[in-house]
Amino acid sequence: MSLWVDKHRPRSLDQLHYHHALSARLKALAASGDFPHMLFYGPSGAGKKTRIAGTLLELFGKGVEKLKIDQRVFLTPTKRKLDVNIVQSNFHIEITPSEVGNYDRVVIQEILKEIAQTQQVDLSAKQKFKLVVIHEADSLTRDAQAALRRTMEKYMTNMRLILCANSTSKLIAPIRSRCLLMRVAAPSEEEMRAVLDYVGKREGFAIPDDTARLIAQDANGNVRKALLVLEALKMQNTDLSSSALSIAKPDWETYCHKVADMIIQEQSPARVMEVRAKLYELLSHCIPPSVVIKTIAEKVVDQVDDALKADIMHWAAIYEARMRVGNKKIFHLEAWVVKVMSLYKHFFLGFDMDAGFDDF
Amino acid sequence: MKAARAGPSAPGSKQIPIAQDPNCLAGLSFVFTGELSSLSRDEAVELAKRYGGRVTGQPSSKTSYVVLGADAGPSKLKAIAKNNLKTLDEDGFLALIATRKEEEAIRQSAREMEAREKAASKAAAATAPGGAGGAGAAARTASENLLWTARYAPQSLKEICGNKGQVEKLQAWLGSWAANVRSEFKKPGKDGMNVFRAVMITGPPGIGKTTSAHLCAKLAGFTPVELNASDARSKKLVENSTNIMNTSLDGWMSGGQKTNAAGVTITDKSCLIMDEVDGMSAGDRGGVGALVALIKRTKIPIICIANDRGAQKLKPLVSATYNLTFRRPEVNMVRSRIMSILFKEGMKIPANVVDQLVQGAQADIRQVLNMLSTWRLANNTMDFDEGKNLVKMNEKYTVMTPFGVINKILGPGMFLPTTRETLGDKMEMYFHDPSFVPLFMQENYLKTQPSRIRNLDGPEKTLKHLELMDKAATSISDGDIVDSLIHGPNQYWSLMPLHAVCSTVRPASFLYGMGAGYGGPNAMSFPQWLGQNSKQSKLSRQLTDVQARMRLKVSGDKSEIRQSYIPSLFPHIVQPLMEQGASAVDETIEFMDEYFLTREDWDTIVELGVGDHNDAGVLKKISTATKTSFTRKYNSRDHPVAFHKAEALGKAPKKLAAAGPVPDLEEAFDVDDEVPEAEEDEKQETDDDPERDSLIKAPKKGKAAAGKGKAPAKAKKS
Repeated sequence: MSLWVDKHRPRSLDQLHYHHALSARLKALAASGDFPHMLFYGPSGAGKKTRIAGTLLELFGKGVEKLKIDQRVFLTPTKRKLDVNIVQSNFHIEITPSEVGNYDRVVIQEILKEIAQTQQVDLSAKQKFKLVVIHEADSLTRDAQAALRRTMEKYMTNMRLILCANSTSKLIAPIRSRCLLMRVAAPSEEEMRAVLDYVGKREGFAIPDDTARLIAQDANGNVRKALLVLEALKMQNTDLSSSALSIAKPDWETYCHKVADMIIQEQSPARVMEVRAKLYELLSHCIPPSVVIKTIAEKVVDQVDDALKADIMHWAAIYEARMRVGNKKIFHLEAWVVKVMSLYKHFFLGFDMDAGFDDF
Repeated sequence: MKAARAGPSAPGSKQIPIAQDPNCLAGLSFVFTGELSSLSRDEAVELAKRYGGRVTGQPSSKTSYVVLGADAGPSKLKAIAKNNLKTLDEDGFLALIATRKEEEAIRQSAREMEAREKAASKAAAATAPGGAGGAGAAARTASENLLWTARYAPQSLKEICGNKGQVEKLQAWLGSWAANVRSEFKKPGKDGMNVFRAVMITGPPGIGKTTSAHLCAKLAGFTPVELNASDARSKKLVENSTNIMNTSLDGWMSGGQKTNAAGVTITDKSCLIMDEVDGMSAGDRGGVGALVALIKRTKIPIICIANDRGAQKLKPLVSATYNLTFRRPEVNMVRSRIMSILFKEGMKIPANVVDQLVQGAQADIRQVLNMLSTWRLANNTMDFDEGKNLVKMNEKYTVMTPFGVINKILGPGMFLPTTRETLGDKMEMYFHDPSFVPLFMQENYLKTQPSRIRNLDGPEKTLKHLELMDKAATSISDGDIVDSLIHGPNQYWSLMPLHAVCSTVRPASFLYGMGAGYGGPNAMSFPQWLGQNSKQSKLSRQLTDVQARMRLKVSGDKSEIRQSYIPSLFPHIVQPLMEQGASAVDETIEFMDEYFLTREDWDTIVELGVGDHNDAGVLKKISTATKTSFTRKYNSRDHPVAFHKAEALGKAPKKLAAAGPVPDLEEAFDVDDEVPEAEEDEKQETDDDPERDSLIKAPKKGKAAAGKGKAPAKAKKS
């Protein structure tokens, strides 16, 4: 009894509920025998990996579903040992180089060369090439991306790449130009509801319209989240039609909201330090800092005067960007918190703060 | 001299100096005339006599000083004029008593040194086989060649500067050694010192610890045997190289000079001086332990010398020895010694300059001598400013701890308008520890009461405070960006001064003030960042494992697992255990198997919760019985396995860190060093037994044994 989201995952391109045009194109590409490098991109929960799996199935047949996981150890030039988990079938291999942080270049170089230098052994295989799927391609470092460039052209006979990313903006242009870009957009509300209805039907209950809309809105285009929420709701209330239905927020979101409330309630050094402790708690429990700042900022903006909203978001954006450049995320998060407190207090007491960003 | 006089006009109004040298006026003759203002004539005469002066009635050509008071006799004034005598008023007389001692003493000790050197050269000439003249010259140059610190090392107790009480104690202890041995160290004696078989001298460098120990030993008739950090002092060597039972007949048998394993002469009456015991390090494995064991049995006095009494590795020694703490001598104690050396060397340096040198070197006599001997190469005199510069040049740069740095830079003094510190000085604070100071700053910058808003009040103060905090926080954020450039792929180390300003100086310049570290409610604390960061990387690694296992079932990446799956898994695999207890165990395990999750992954999932799902709160709600039954049931079954970890198959030699308890060699030494007093004898046996030695075991059996190897060591400790 796995979760519904895994139980009812479409296995092939035919079973997909939306983006039919994309499915058709993928099918055609798989059949053509001239398969390009591909870059799938789109928000999480839109169905990128499901589509990649479907494409693999089209290309190689049932063999790709026999997956095994291997843990490989790589040696960096500084003799550090890196563990990388590799998911593979006979026809393809999936890696997540971002697991090893800054050493991803080593992994890319070693694995790709290894794959590219061996030919497909299975003569009955449908395709002559093997496929390498690189997950979280947008978190590859510059070096790793540069290492990819040449390999992509040089070993074209033996290997194809499928990159999977949330956004193309962090990929360098040479990579983008070598790939066929496949945008997997988040489903619209109707599409989402179709999926929900399908799952409801398979599980043997009907989802009232209101509830479906509620879930779809909350999920914000993330089908995975929508299905998980649906299951949680169904677990808590057997009757989904009741009007008092509320969607339980995940633990970290509630926690972020608490932090936002703390910022609004009091603006003092002591409070900043309390907030800092809470932020540390979130970060150390693997909530990405950009999610933290986004969630808190949205909650803060809900509670302040219209005049402040733009400013708060502006600074959130600036500190989010700095966070990506810097090392210690908490420094920037805290700077933003102090900034918001200062802005809020000034507004509250009717003073105008005339500090631009570099006006000291 | 009149028989009867009126008393002094202001009796007792002046303080009579206490001369340190009882014979400071020796060789001088005085004539008193007239009425002194504070002393009566009798008192003055008595004073002069007490300090060895001669008092005559009438001035003559042999009179050294005439002390003039009010209404001096005309005949005496005439005699003064005639013989051209030196006169003093009352103050001059008193000052003479106070100061003359030194000059005289200085000359005196210089003469002693001269004599000693002559004697030494004579002795050298006598033993030297060549011509008397040539040998004398050779000896002379030999003594010239010595460092000042060696040449002017104190030769008698009188010459040791400061710490008189401690030196006396040491001498008394050595003196009563024979009696102590006889009484088997049962009688405590006056200071309670006589129950100890060893003394530990601690104190800062350069104040004569080693010198005093050697001198006392020599004077008490012992032959000092010194072992210092330049000798290997492992357990074996400590045991073998010291004739602690005082029973060796080596010297007697061979008649000549006999040396032991460590190359030191053995005599029948030796005193072991363990110098620099805090320098017994990794190479001297078991050294401190062996030394303690040695002290328990020794029949010869042992003097241990160390700088820092509180050092961790000296713990076992502290209880086994009598502790003598040497302090830095007062400036005036050092002054006269230095002055006499200078006199001997023919250098003219005023007392105030010497004082300054001594103060600058923090009473480190050795350093002062080294400074002066270097100075001597070029100059014979030194004025105040030159002295100041010399001190500055020889300043010991002490590295401040980050706590010290942060207290100083956030304190009220650093940024005052009147402060002398330049920007460079402030940046220097960062360079005391460039990796830690910024972290300390970020942790503590909010803990002050900023001086900048001291004069404000009410809402204005709050606003200004927030504004300052904002600026400081922004600057810290800037600092982090600079830091990522420094430690990034291109390593722009030249940006470090900018980092110093952004991360440390600028935030402090906004928020400096009273508060933290100055008795405020929130004292400076250690940066949380380090702990939180390692916690984050640990959890992130575990999350990677969870994701890897779930990978066959789930398409999401790591952050999706954390943000969506873990909250959704919670009601299936954690909540039932909280609410239904043991009855939900089967169901939970089945669910986990669906996702290839192991028992450890369950722990990770619980650990990753925040807020309402935080692990402490959750685990509290699951009864121990449920937990045990969960673990037992899980272990008793077979589970589908997604993959084996690389190290489990022995494929790749995994790094030790992940393999649980690591054999921490450094710690193992320490454990070995800490000899529990009660088990002393047992320890003697076990130490030689290789089977029980954790350090021998570790390399033989490799990784598996390493974890175990530590266990017996721990057991010994408890």
